[in-house]
Amino acid sequence: MIPRPLQITLSIAVVCYFIIILYYLKRRMLELKYTLIWLAAGVVMGIMIYFPELLVRFARMLGIESNMNGLYILCIAFILMILMTLTAIVSRQQMKIRTLIQEISMLEKRVREMESNAGNMEGREK
Amino acid sequence: MARVLIIIPAYNEAGNIEKVIDDLTTNYPQYDYVIVNDGSTDATKEICRENHYHVLHLPVNLGIGGAVQTGYRYAWENDYDLAVQIDGDGQHDVSFLQDMIAYMDEQGADCVIGSRFVRKEGFQSSGLRRTGIQFLSILGFILTGVRVRDITSGYRLVNRKLIRVFALDYPADYPEPEAMVIAAVYGGRIKEYPVVMRERENGTSSINLKRSVYYMVKVTLAMLIRRLSFGVRRQK
Repeated sequence: MIPRPLQITLSIAVVCYFIIILYYLKRRMLELKYTLIWLAAGVVMGIMIYFPELLVRFARMLGIESNMNGLYILCIAFILMILMTLTAIVSRQQMKIRTLIQEISMLEKRVREMESNAGNMEGREK
Repeated sequence: MARVLIIIPAYNEAGNIEKVIDDLTTNYPQYDYVIVNDGSTDATKEICRENHYHVLHLPVNLGIGGAVQTGYRYAWENDYDLAVQIDGDGQHDVSFLQDMIAYMDEQGADCVIGSRFVRKEGFQSSGLRRTGIQFLSILGFILTGVRVRDITSGYRLVNRKLIRVFALDYPADYPEPEAMVIAAVYGGRIKEYPVVMRERENGTSSINLKRSVYYMVKVTLAMLIRRLSFGVRRQK
């Protein structure tokens, strides 16, 4: 069991965590879509502070003897998952940026040609 | 008469580009061309502007794959029948193009790759590099059943079918071997035609020895993944 004072400290930490996320969301510095996984992580942390036996049972189920090891493995798995999501987001954005650059270059060529045609027409009129 | 677009990706090719384009416009006026200036930091852009070349300026550097793909997008949007990519450094001799087009018609191919190794004439590249190319070539054969000897050749002619495919889906860096697998999995018939390549006069090849390990690993994996993801696409 987690001792009461530690439980309070951890609760405050989790509350701060949520406040920071909500602050960023409010300032529109984070896109809600990409924040859902962080919010989910906060909820899981909150549950584990008050029901640590869930973690213990889960660790036993996976065949992990030590509680702390179970916690670490869970944390690392979660972080890896988030990192992979980030890589996927970066890749998708790279693809979009690539298409944008290509489209811009084609538009730029059309604008350049239209401008030079317009310039020629003006020259003829004069 | 088929409309042909020559795609010339150019990254810092100020020393070569004038010669390449002058050769094209004087000797081969029947073909259209477009330079894709891949965010060059040298005078490439100014040279293109002064001479009023047909050029697409990429505002930032995308790498060879992104540059070539821009050319295919341009070919698709402007309804070209055939597109051929050549290097901006003058390695590829456009005089072979007519024969390549004739060969494409004759063979009913969708893609004709200009190959150094069919007749083994002209610039052949170093021994180690050739071994690498041979490895990729055999890998390509295992994955697709098509043997392309000069699988890294950037001298490629494709028809509308593959212009469409490449406009939508083209690898980002070191694209040639992977693009061949893409062409094959989309049902493109690939043929090789013997050409003679010149050694480049200015600038250096983009692949030095340090990068070749990365090159081999990346390209091998990319080809494998391309082939593996084909099953998913076929069901659509």
